[in-house]
Amino acid sequence: MGVVLDGLVLGLQLALLSVGIVFVYGLGGVLNLAHGQVAVLGGLATALMLQARQHPVLSGVVGVLAAGLAALLLDRSLLQAAYRRRGEERLLLALILTLGASFALDGLFTLRFPNVALSLRLTNPSVEVLGVTVRTASLAVGALSLATFGLLLAFLKGTRLGKAVRCIIQNEAGALLCGVDVEQARTVTLFASGALAGVAALGQGFFSYLGPDMGPEFTILSLIVAVVGGVRSLAGTFLASLLLGVVNAALSYWVGTYLTWIALLAVAVATLLVRPEGLLAYWP
Amino acid sequence: MLEVRDLWAGYGDMAVVRGVNLQVRKGEATAVLGPNGAGKTTLFRAVVGLVRPVRGSVRFEGQSLEGRRAHEVVRQGIAYVAAERELFPQLTVLENLELGAYARPDGFRERLQAVFDLFPRLAERRWQRAGTLSGGEQQMLAIARALMGQPRLLLLDEPSTGLAPRLVAELYRRLDVLRQQGVTILLAEQQVGAALALCARAYVLKDGRVVFEGFSGELRGSSHLHAAYLGGV
Repeated sequence: MGVVLDGLVLGLQLALLSVGIVFVYGLGGVLNLAHGQVAVLGGLATALMLQARQHPVLSGVVGVLAAGLAALLLDRSLLQAAYRRRGEERLLLALILTLGASFALDGLFTLRFPNVALSLRLTNPSVEVLGVTVRTASLAVGALSLATFGLLLAFLKGTRLGKAVRCIIQNEAGALLCGVDVEQARTVTLFASGALAGVAALGQGFFSYLGPDMGPEFTILSLIVAVVGGVRSLAGTFLASLLLGVVNAALSYWVGTYLTWIALLAVAVATLLVRPEGLLAYWP
Repeated sequence: MLEVRDLWAGYGDMAVVRGVNLQVRKGEATAVLGPNGAGKTTLFRAVVGLVRPVRGSVRFEGQSLEGRRAHEVVRQGIAYVAAERELFPQLTVLENLELGAYARPDGFRERLQAVFDLFPRLAERRWQRAGTLSGGEQQMLAIARALMGQPRLLLLDEPSTGLAPRLVAELYRRLDVLRQQGVTILLAEQQVGAALALCARAYVLKDGRVVFEGFSGELRGSSHLHAAYLGGV
Protein backbone atom coordinates (compact mmCIF):
# COMPACT_ATOMS: atom_id res chain seq x y z
CA MET A 1 0.00 0.00 0.00
CA GLY A 2 2.76 2.38 1.02
CA VAL A 3 4.67 1.47 -2.12
CA VAL A 4 1.67 2.20 -4.33
CA LEU A 5 1.17 5.57 -2.66
CA ASP A 6 4.87 6.40 -3.04
CA GLY A 7 4.60 5.34 -6.66
CA LEU A 8 1.59 7.56 -7.31
CA VAL A 9 3.30 10.53 -5.72
CA LEU A 10 6.44 9.84 -7.72
CA GLY A 11 4.14 9.67 -10.75
CA LEU A 12 2.77 13.12 -10.01
CA GLN A 13 6.35 14.36 -9.82
CA LEU A 14 7.12 12.81 -13.17
CA ALA A 15 4.01 14.44 -14.59
CA LEU A 16 5.13 17.89 -13.44
CA LEU A 17 8.46 17.29 -15.09
CA SER A 18 7.11 15.85 -18.34
CA VAL A 19 4.35 18.36 -19.00
CA GLY A 20 7.07 20.86 -19.88
CA ILE A 21 8.51 18.54 -22.53
CA VAL A 22 5.00 18.12 -23.99
CA PHE A 23 4.36 21.87 -24.01
CA VAL A 24 7.63 22.71 -25.74
CA TYR A 25 7.11 19.94 -28.29
CA GLY A 26 3.51 20.91 -28.88
CA LEU A 27 4.25 24.59 -29.37
CA GLY A 28 7.52 24.42 -31.22
CA GLY A 29 8.01 20.89 -32.50
CA VAL A 30 11.29 20.50 -30.60
CA LEU A 31 12.41 18.19 -27.80
CA ASN A 32 14.26 20.02 -25.06
CA LEU A 33 17.11 17.83 -23.77
CA ALA A 34 18.05 20.46 -21.18
CA HIS A 35 14.69 20.23 -19.45
CA GLY A 36 16.08 18.31 -16.47
CA GLN A 37 18.78 20.94 -16.00
CA VAL A 38 16.06 23.61 -15.87
CA ALA A 39 14.51 21.70 -12.96
CA VAL A 40 17.88 21.37 -11.22
CA LEU A 41 18.49 25.10 -11.68
CA GLY A 42 15.23 25.78 -9.82
CA GLY A 43 16.17 23.37 -7.04
CA LEU A 44 19.66 24.82 -6.64
CA ALA A 45 18.27 28.36 -6.54
CA THR A 46 16.01 27.29 -3.68
CA ALA A 47 18.90 25.58 -1.90
CA LEU A 48 21.07 28.68 -2.21
CA MET A 49 18.27 30.85 -0.85
CA LEU A 50 17.87 28.51 2.12
CA GLN A 51 21.62 28.61 2.75
CA ALA A 52 21.30 32.38 2.90
CA ARG A 53 18.68 31.83 5.63
CA GLN A 54 15.72 33.05 3.61
CA HIS A 55 12.17 31.97 4.40
CA PRO A 56 11.49 28.45 3.03
CA VAL A 57 8.33 29.50 1.15
CA LEU A 58 10.06 32.50 -0.42
CA SER A 59 13.01 30.25 -1.32
CA GLY A 60 10.68 27.78 -3.03
CA VAL A 61 8.89 30.51 -4.97
CA VAL A 62 12.20 32.01 -6.14
CA GLY A 63 13.37 28.55 -7.26
CA VAL A 64 10.19 27.95 -9.26
CA LEU A 65 10.37 31.41 -10.87
CA ALA A 66 14.07 30.90 -11.69
CA ALA A 67 13.27 27.63 -13.47
CA GLY A 68 10.47 29.32 -15.41
CA LEU A 69 12.75 32.15 -16.51
CA ALA A 70 15.51 29.69 -17.45
CA ALA A 71 13.12 27.77 -19.72
CA LEU A 72 11.97 31.01 -21.35
CA LEU A 73 15.53 32.23 -21.81
CA LEU A 74 16.59 28.93 -23.40
CA ASP A 75 13.72 29.26 -25.86
CA ARG A 76 14.38 32.88 -26.71
CA SER A 77 18.12 32.47 -27.22
CA LEU A 78 19.34 29.06 -28.27
CA LEU A 79 16.20 27.62 -29.81
CA GLN A 80 15.55 30.60 -32.09
CA ALA A 81 18.06 29.16 -34.55
CA ALA A 82 16.04 25.93 -34.65
CA TYR A 83 12.68 27.69 -35.07
CA ARG A 84 13.92 29.25 -38.31
CA ARG A 85 14.02 25.76 -39.82
CA ARG A 86 11.21 23.32 -40.44
CA GLY A 87 10.39 19.66 -39.86
CA GLU A 88 13.15 17.17 -39.26
CA GLU A 89 15.88 19.80 -39.60
CA ARG A 90 14.33 21.80 -36.77
CA LEU A 91 13.96 18.77 -34.51
CA LEU A 92 17.54 17.61 -35.06
CA LEU A 93 19.12 21.05 -34.65
CA ALA A 94 17.15 21.60 -31.45
CA LEU A 95 18.24 18.20 -30.12
CA ILE A 96 21.91 19.08 -30.65
CA LEU A 97 21.53 22.62 -29.29
CA THR A 98 19.69 21.57 -26.14
CA LEU A 99 22.09 18.65 -25.63
CA GLY A 100 24.91 21.18 -25.71
CA ALA A 101 23.05 23.40 -23.28
CA SER A 102 22.49 20.45 -20.95
CA PHE A 103 26.24 19.65 -20.90
CA ALA A 104 27.10 23.28 -20.29
CA LEU A 105 24.58 23.62 -17.45
CA ASP A 106 25.65 20.31 -15.90
CA GLY A 107 29.25 21.46 -15.96
CA LEU A 108 28.34 24.81 -14.47
CA PHE A 109 26.28 23.25 -11.67
CA THR A 110 28.79 20.59 -10.68
CA LEU A 111 31.81 22.93 -10.85
CA ARG A 112 30.29 25.99 -9.25
CA PHE A 113 27.97 24.31 -6.73
CA PRO A 114 29.47 20.86 -6.08
CA ASN A 115 28.24 20.75 -2.50
CA VAL A 116 24.91 22.48 -2.86
CA ALA A 117 21.96 20.13 -2.52
CA LEU A 118 18.30 20.70 -1.85
CA SER A 119 17.00 18.67 1.05
CA LEU A 120 13.73 19.68 2.65
CA ARG A 121 13.26 17.73 5.85
CA LEU A 122 9.83 17.75 7.46
CA THR A 123 9.61 17.62 11.26
CA ASN A 124 7.59 14.41 11.38
CA PRO A 125 9.01 11.75 9.07
CA SER A 126 5.77 9.74 8.98
CA VAL A 127 2.14 9.89 9.98
CA GLU A 128 -0.59 7.29 10.22
CA VAL A 129 -3.51 7.63 7.78
CA LEU A 130 -6.39 5.12 8.14
CA GLY A 131 -4.12 2.69 9.92
CA VAL A 132 -1.36 2.87 7.31
CA THR A 133 1.97 4.52 8.02
CA VAL A 134 2.69 7.07 5.33
CA ARG A 135 5.74 9.23 4.80
CA THR A 136 4.93 12.86 5.48
CA ALA A 137 7.09 13.76 2.48
CA SER A 138 4.79 11.71 0.22
CA LEU A 139 1.75 13.55 1.50
CA ALA A 140 3.41 16.94 1.14
CA VAL A 141 4.66 16.25 -2.36
CA GLY A 142 1.31 14.73 -3.36
CA ALA A 143 -0.55 17.80 -2.12
CA LEU A 144 1.93 20.18 -3.77
CA SER A 145 1.71 18.34 -7.10
CA LEU A 146 -2.08 18.08 -7.06
CA ALA A 147 -2.44 21.75 -6.21
CA THR A 148 -0.07 22.65 -9.06
CA PHE A 149 -2.02 20.48 -11.47
CA GLY A 150 -5.26 22.04 -10.27
CA LEU A 151 -3.88 25.44 -11.17
CA LEU A 152 -2.65 24.19 -14.53
CA LEU A 153 -6.02 22.64 -15.40
CA ALA A 154 -7.88 25.76 -14.29
CA PHE A 155 -5.59 27.77 -16.56
CA LEU A 156 -5.95 25.46 -19.58
CA LYS A 157 -9.69 24.87 -19.32
CA GLY A 158 -10.94 28.01 -17.66
CA THR A 159 -9.03 30.92 -19.13
CA ARG A 160 -9.02 32.37 -22.63
CA LEU A 161 -5.24 32.19 -22.82
CA GLY A 162 -5.32 28.56 -21.63
CA LYS A 163 -7.77 27.61 -24.36
CA ALA A 164 -5.54 29.41 -26.83
CA VAL A 165 -2.57 27.30 -25.70
CA ARG A 166 -4.57 24.10 -26.23
CA CYS A 167 -5.57 25.11 -29.72
CA ILE A 168 -2.05 26.20 -30.70
CA ILE A 169 -0.81 22.72 -29.81
CA GLN A 170 -3.42 21.26 -32.17
CA ASN A 171 -3.09 23.73 -35.02
CA GLU A 172 -0.98 26.86 -34.88
CA ALA A 173 -2.23 28.34 -38.17
CA GLY A 174 -5.81 27.77 -37.06
CA ALA A 175 -5.08 29.61 -33.81
CA LEU A 176 -3.60 32.59 -35.67
CA LEU A 177 -6.68 32.74 -37.89
CA CYS A 178 -8.87 32.91 -34.78
CA GLY A 179 -6.96 36.00 -33.68
CA VAL A 180 -4.83 34.26 -31.03
CA ASP A 181 -1.57 36.03 -30.20
CA VAL A 182 0.63 32.97 -30.58
CA GLU A 183 3.78 34.70 -29.31
CA GLN A 184 2.12 35.75 -26.06
CA ALA A 185 0.72 32.26 -25.50
CA ARG A 186 4.14 30.76 -26.20
CA THR A 187 5.84 33.02 -23.66
CA VAL A 188 3.39 32.11 -20.92
CA THR A 189 3.53 28.40 -21.73
CA LEU A 190 7.31 28.20 -21.88
CA PHE A 191 7.57 29.95 -18.56
CA ALA A 192 5.02 27.49 -17.16
CA SER A 193 6.97 24.51 -18.51
CA GLY A 194 10.05 25.59 -16.59
CA ALA A 195 8.14 26.56 -13.46
CA LEU A 196 6.44 23.14 -13.33
CA ALA A 197 9.86 21.50 -13.58
CA GLY A 198 10.92 23.74 -10.70
CA VAL A 199 8.03 22.45 -8.59
CA ALA A 200 9.12 18.89 -9.45
CA ALA A 201 12.60 19.77 -8.18
CA LEU A 202 11.14 20.96 -4.87
CA GLY A 203 9.27 17.64 -4.63
CA GLN A 204 12.53 15.79 -5.13
CA GLY A 205 13.97 17.84 -2.27
CA PHE A 206 11.15 16.70 0.00
CA PHE A 207 11.47 13.05 -1.04
CA SER A 208 15.21 12.69 -0.59
CA TYR A 209 17.57 15.30 -1.98
CA LEU A 210 18.32 17.09 -5.21
CA GLY A 211 21.94 17.38 -6.26
CA PRO A 212 23.62 19.47 -8.97
CA ASP A 213 24.25 16.40 -11.15
CA MET A 214 20.65 15.16 -11.45
CA GLY A 215 19.69 16.98 -14.65
CA PRO A 216 20.28 14.11 -17.12
CA GLU A 217 18.24 11.72 -14.99
CA PHE A 218 15.31 14.15 -14.94
CA THR A 219 15.51 14.72 -18.69
CA ILE A 220 15.54 11.01 -19.48
CA LEU A 221 12.66 10.28 -17.13
CA SER A 222 10.52 13.01 -18.63
CA LEU A 223 11.35 11.88 -22.17
CA ILE A 224 10.29 8.32 -21.34
CA VAL A 225 7.03 9.58 -19.87
CA ALA A 226 6.36 11.81 -22.88
CA VAL A 227 6.97 8.90 -25.27
CA VAL A 228 4.69 6.55 -23.35
CA GLY A 229 1.96 9.17 -22.90
CA GLY A 230 2.14 10.70 -26.37
CA VAL A 231 4.26 13.79 -26.98
CA ARG A 232 1.26 15.95 -27.80
CA SER A 233 -1.03 14.67 -25.08
CA LEU A 234 -1.37 16.17 -21.61
CA ALA A 235 -3.89 13.59 -20.43
CA GLY A 236 -1.67 10.80 -21.79
CA THR A 237 1.37 12.27 -20.06
CA PHE A 238 -0.49 12.36 -16.79
CA LEU A 239 -1.65 8.74 -17.11
CA ALA A 240 1.80 7.54 -18.19
CA SER A 241 3.43 9.37 -15.28
CA LEU A 242 1.25 7.64 -12.70
CA LEU A 243 1.79 4.27 -14.35
CA LEU A 244 5.57 4.65 -14.58
CA GLY A 245 5.71 6.11 -11.08
CA VAL A 246 4.11 3.00 -9.61
CA VAL A 247 6.28 0.68 -11.75
CA ASN A 248 9.37 2.60 -10.64
CA ALA A 249 8.49 2.54 -6.93
CA ALA A 250 7.48 -1.13 -6.97
CA LEU A 251 10.63 -2.26 -8.76
CA SER A 252 12.88 -0.13 -6.56
CA TYR A 253 11.22 -1.69 -3.52
CA TRP A 254 11.16 -5.33 -4.55
CA VAL A 255 13.90 -5.75 -7.12
CA GLY A 256 16.36 -2.92 -6.80
CA THR A 257 17.06 0.40 -8.46
CA TYR A 258 19.38 -1.07 -11.08
CA LEU A 259 16.50 -2.77 -12.88
CA THR A 260 14.03 0.09 -12.80
CA TRP A 261 15.69 2.04 -15.61
CA ILE A 262 15.64 -0.99 -17.85
CA ALA A 263 12.00 -1.64 -16.95
CA LEU A 264 11.01 1.97 -17.70
CA LEU A 265 12.78 1.91 -21.06
CA ALA A 266 11.13 -1.44 -21.81
CA VAL A 267 7.71 0.12 -21.19
CA ALA A 268 8.63 2.98 -23.55
CA VAL A 269 9.81 0.59 -26.27
CA ALA A 270 6.69 -1.55 -25.87
CA THR A 271 4.51 1.55 -26.21
CA LEU A 272 6.33 2.62 -29.37
CA LEU A 273 5.82 -0.86 -30.84
CA VAL A 274 2.18 -1.32 -29.88
CA ARG A 275 0.87 2.25 -29.80
CA PRO A 276 3.41 4.57 -31.42
CA GLU A 277 1.21 7.62 -30.90
CA GLY A 278 1.30 7.11 -27.10
CA LEU A 279 -1.34 5.95 -24.62
CA LEU A 280 -3.69 8.83 -25.36
CA ALA A 281 -2.66 10.35 -28.65
CA TYR A 282 -4.33 13.72 -28.19
CA TRP A 283 -5.58 15.55 -25.18
CA PRO A 284 -9.17 16.68 -25.13
CA MET B 1 -12.67 48.48 -48.57
CA LEU B 2 -9.55 46.45 -49.44
CA GLU B 3 -6.91 47.89 -51.69
CA VAL B 4 -3.90 45.90 -52.81
CA ARG B 5 -1.24 47.83 -54.70
CA ASP B 6 1.74 46.43 -56.59
CA LEU B 7 2.00 43.51 -54.18
CA TRP B 8 4.98 41.18 -54.45
CA ALA B 9 5.14 38.15 -52.18
CA GLY B 10 6.54 34.65 -52.13
CA TYR B 11 8.63 32.13 -50.27
CA GLY B 12 12.38 32.51 -49.95
CA ASP B 13 13.77 33.96 -53.16
CA MET B 14 10.80 32.89 -55.26
CA ALA B 15 8.16 35.54 -55.99
CA VAL B 16 4.77 33.90 -56.42
CA VAL B 17 2.70 37.08 -56.46
CA ARG B 18 4.23 39.65 -58.83
CA GLY B 19 2.87 43.13 -58.73
CA VAL B 20 -0.82 42.47 -58.12
CA ASN B 21 -3.29 45.36 -57.98
CA LEU B 22 -6.73 44.53 -56.63
CA GLN B 23 -9.72 46.26 -55.10
CA VAL B 24 -12.62 44.92 -53.11
CA ARG B 25 -15.65 47.17 -52.65
CA LYS B 26 -17.75 47.16 -49.53
CA GLY B 27 -20.73 44.82 -49.65
CA GLU B 28 -19.59 43.17 -52.87
CA ALA B 29 -18.38 39.68 -53.61
CA THR B 30 -15.20 39.59 -55.69
CA ALA B 31 -13.61 36.53 -57.26
CA VAL B 32 -9.94 35.75 -57.87
CA LEU B 33 -9.75 33.06 -60.51
CA GLY B 34 -6.88 31.19 -62.03
CA PRO B 35 -5.30 27.77 -62.32
CA ASN B 36 -3.30 26.00 -59.64
CA GLY B 37 -0.08 27.84 -58.90
CA ALA B 38 -1.36 31.18 -60.20
CA GLY B 39 -0.65 32.78 -56.80
CA LYS B 40 -4.18 33.02 -55.37
CA THR B 41 -3.36 31.43 -52.01
CA THR B 42 -0.12 33.40 -51.60
CA LEU B 43 -2.01 36.61 -52.41
CA PHE B 44 -4.53 35.84 -49.65
CA ARG B 45 -1.85 34.80 -47.20
CA ALA B 46 0.02 38.04 -47.83
CA VAL B 47 -3.15 40.07 -47.25
CA VAL B 48 -3.78 38.43 -43.85
CA GLY B 49 -0.15 38.55 -42.72
CA LEU B 50 0.72 34.85 -42.92
CA VAL B 51 3.26 35.69 -45.63
CA ARG B 52 5.29 38.89 -45.43
CA PRO B 53 5.06 40.87 -48.68
CA VAL B 54 8.35 41.83 -50.33
CA ARG B 55 6.95 44.99 -51.87
CA GLY B 56 3.71 46.86 -52.28
CA SER B 57 0.91 47.78 -49.93
CA VAL B 58 -2.32 46.40 -48.53
CA ARG B 59 -4.87 48.84 -47.11
CA PHE B 60 -8.06 47.87 -45.33
CA GLU B 61 -10.71 50.51 -44.71
CA GLY B 62 -8.08 53.14 -45.41
CA GLN B 63 -5.52 51.78 -42.93
CA SER B 64 -2.24 50.18 -43.95
CA LEU B 65 -1.78 46.56 -42.86
CA GLU B 66 1.99 46.74 -43.30
CA GLY B 67 3.90 44.76 -40.68
CA ARG B 68 0.72 43.49 -39.00
CA ARG B 69 0.84 39.92 -37.84
CA ALA B 70 -1.94 37.49 -38.74
CA HIS B 71 -3.77 37.67 -35.42
CA GLU B 72 -3.78 41.47 -35.58
CA VAL B 73 -5.24 41.45 -39.10
CA VAL B 74 -8.00 39.09 -37.88
CA ARG B 75 -8.76 41.46 -35.01
CA GLN B 76 -8.97 44.32 -37.46
CA GLY B 77 -11.94 42.64 -39.16
CA ILE B 78 -10.58 40.37 -41.91
CA ALA B 79 -11.29 36.64 -41.62
CA TYR B 80 -9.49 34.07 -43.75
CA VAL B 81 -10.86 30.61 -44.43
CA ALA B 82 -7.87 28.65 -45.71
CA ALA B 83 -8.20 25.90 -48.29
CA GLU B 84 -6.90 23.49 -45.63
CA ARG B 85 -9.68 24.72 -43.31
CA GLU B 86 -7.28 24.78 -40.32
CA LEU B 87 -9.84 23.48 -37.83
CA PHE B 88 -9.05 22.03 -34.40
CA PRO B 89 -9.87 18.38 -35.11
CA GLN B 90 -9.89 17.19 -31.50
CA LEU B 91 -12.21 19.94 -30.28
CA THR B 92 -15.97 19.86 -30.69
CA VAL B 93 -17.86 21.95 -33.21
CA LEU B 94 -18.95 24.26 -30.41
CA GLU B 95 -15.41 24.66 -29.05
CA ASN B 96 -14.17 25.49 -32.56
CA LEU B 97 -16.84 28.17 -32.80
CA GLU B 98 -15.91 29.51 -29.37
CA LEU B 99 -12.32 29.90 -30.52
CA GLY B 100 -13.59 31.68 -33.61
CA ALA B 101 -14.95 34.32 -31.26
CA TYR B 102 -11.62 34.52 -29.40
CA ALA B 103 -10.86 38.05 -30.51
CA ARG B 104 -14.48 39.24 -30.04
CA PRO B 105 -16.06 37.48 -27.08
CA ASP B 106 -18.93 39.98 -26.67
CA GLY B 107 -22.29 39.03 -28.22
CA PHE B 108 -21.23 35.41 -28.50
CA ARG B 109 -24.71 33.88 -28.11
CA GLU B 110 -26.34 36.02 -30.77
CA ARG B 111 -23.61 35.27 -33.25
CA LEU B 112 -23.70 31.57 -32.45
CA GLN B 113 -27.43 31.57 -33.14
CA ALA B 114 -26.92 33.44 -36.41
CA VAL B 115 -24.27 30.95 -37.49
CA PHE B 116 -26.51 28.00 -36.57
CA ASP B 117 -29.38 29.59 -38.55
CA LEU B 118 -27.11 29.77 -41.57
CA PHE B 119 -25.73 26.23 -41.10
CA PRO B 120 -28.39 24.21 -39.20
CA ARG B 121 -26.29 21.07 -39.70
CA LEU B 122 -23.65 22.49 -37.34
CA ALA B 123 -26.24 23.02 -34.62
CA GLU B 124 -27.13 19.33 -34.81
CA ARG B 125 -23.47 18.36 -34.56
CA ARG B 126 -22.34 20.89 -31.99
CA TRP B 127 -21.03 18.22 -29.57
CA GLN B 128 -19.22 16.25 -32.25
CA ARG B 129 -15.47 16.52 -32.73
CA ALA B 130 -14.54 18.57 -35.76
CA GLY B 131 -12.25 15.85 -37.09
CA THR B 132 -15.17 13.43 -37.42
CA LEU B 133 -17.29 15.73 -39.64
CA SER B 134 -17.69 15.11 -43.38
CA GLY B 135 -15.77 17.30 -45.83
CA GLY B 136 -18.77 19.52 -46.52
CA GLU B 137 -19.54 19.96 -42.84
CA GLN B 138 -15.90 20.81 -42.11
CA GLN B 139 -15.99 23.51 -44.78
CA MET B 140 -19.16 24.93 -43.26
CA LEU B 141 -17.56 24.85 -39.81
CA ALA B 142 -14.50 26.66 -41.13
CA ILE B 143 -16.70 29.42 -42.58
CA ALA B 144 -18.86 29.52 -39.45
CA ARG B 145 -15.77 29.80 -37.24
CA ALA B 146 -14.55 32.71 -39.34
CA LEU B 147 -17.96 34.41 -39.03
CA MET B 148 -17.82 34.10 -35.23
CA GLY B 149 -15.11 36.78 -35.28
CA GLN B 150 -17.65 39.15 -36.88
CA PRO B 151 -15.48 40.00 -39.88
CA ARG B 152 -16.30 42.84 -42.23
CA LEU B 153 -14.30 41.14 -44.98
CA LEU B 154 -14.33 37.38 -45.51
CA LEU B 155 -11.52 35.78 -47.54
CA LEU B 156 -12.38 32.31 -48.82
CA ASP B 157 -9.67 30.18 -50.39
CA GLU B 158 -11.04 27.44 -52.64
CA PRO B 159 -14.13 26.71 -50.54
CA SER B 160 -15.37 24.08 -53.00
CA THR B 161 -12.23 21.90 -52.81
CA GLY B 162 -13.08 18.27 -52.22
CA LEU B 163 -16.84 18.81 -52.21
CA ALA B 164 -19.39 16.99 -54.38
CA PRO B 165 -21.20 19.22 -56.93
CA ARG B 166 -24.43 19.12 -54.92
CA LEU B 167 -22.59 20.39 -51.83
CA VAL B 168 -20.82 23.09 -53.82
CA ALA B 169 -24.20 24.42 -54.96
CA GLU B 170 -25.48 24.38 -51.38
CA LEU B 171 -22.35 26.12 -50.09
CA TYR B 172 -22.69 28.88 -52.66
CA ARG B 173 -26.35 29.40 -51.74
CA ARG B 174 -25.19 30.06 -48.16
CA LEU B 175 -22.45 32.41 -49.35
CA ASP B 176 -25.08 34.32 -51.31
CA VAL B 177 -27.14 34.70 -48.15
CA LEU B 178 -24.05 36.05 -46.38
CA ARG B 179 -23.43 38.53 -49.18
CA GLN B 180 -27.03 39.73 -48.96
CA GLN B 181 -26.52 40.18 -45.21
CA GLY B 182 -23.78 42.66 -46.04
CA VAL B 183 -20.58 40.61 -45.55
CA THR B 184 -17.97 41.59 -48.11
CA ILE B 185 -16.42 38.53 -49.72
CA LEU B 186 -13.16 37.92 -51.56
CA LEU B 187 -13.10 34.46 -53.02
CA ALA B 188 -10.40 32.38 -54.71
CA GLU B 189 -11.79 29.56 -56.81
CA GLN B 190 -11.07 27.06 -59.51
CA GLN B 191 -14.79 26.34 -59.94
CA VAL B 192 -15.33 29.26 -62.28
CA GLY B 193 -19.07 28.88 -62.85
CA ALA B 194 -20.12 28.97 -59.21
CA ALA B 195 -17.76 31.83 -58.38
CA LEU B 196 -18.91 34.03 -61.26
CA ALA B 197 -22.55 33.48 -60.35
CA LEU B 198 -21.89 34.80 -56.85
CA CYS B 199 -19.42 37.58 -57.56
CA ALA B 200 -20.09 40.86 -59.31
CA ARG B 201 -16.46 41.42 -60.22
CA ALA B 202 -13.57 39.13 -60.91
CA TYR B 203 -9.81 39.07 -61.36
CA VAL B 204 -7.96 36.41 -63.29
CA LEU B 205 -4.47 35.59 -62.05
CA LYS B 206 -1.80 33.86 -64.04
CA ASP B 207 1.82 33.32 -62.98
CA GLY B 208 1.33 35.78 -60.13
CA ARG B 209 0.00 38.62 -62.33
CA VAL B 210 -3.48 39.94 -62.99
CA VAL B 211 -4.34 39.20 -66.63
CA PHE B 212 -7.98 40.33 -66.44
CA GLU B 213 -10.10 42.45 -64.19
CA GLY B 214 -13.71 43.44 -64.72
CA PHE B 215 -17.30 42.44 -64.30
CA SER B 216 -18.17 38.78 -64.13
CA GLY B 217 -20.47 39.14 -67.14
CA GLU B 218 -17.61 40.39 -69.32
CA LEU B 219 -15.40 37.54 -68.22
CA ARG B 220 -17.87 34.83 -69.09
CA GLY B 221 -17.74 35.67 -72.77
CA SER B 222 -14.07 36.60 -72.99
CA SER B 223 -11.07 34.52 -73.91
CA HIS B 224 -9.01 35.57 -70.87
CA LEU B 225 -10.20 32.79 -68.64
CA HIS B 226 -9.67 30.17 -71.25
CA ALA B 227 -6.21 31.52 -71.93
CA ALA B 228 -5.25 31.64 -68.24
CA TYR B 229 -6.20 28.06 -67.67
CA LEU B 230 -5.01 26.59 -70.96
CA GLY B 231 -1.97 28.73 -71.76
CA GLY B 232 -1.29 31.64 -74.09
CA VAL B 233 -2.75 35.09 -73.42
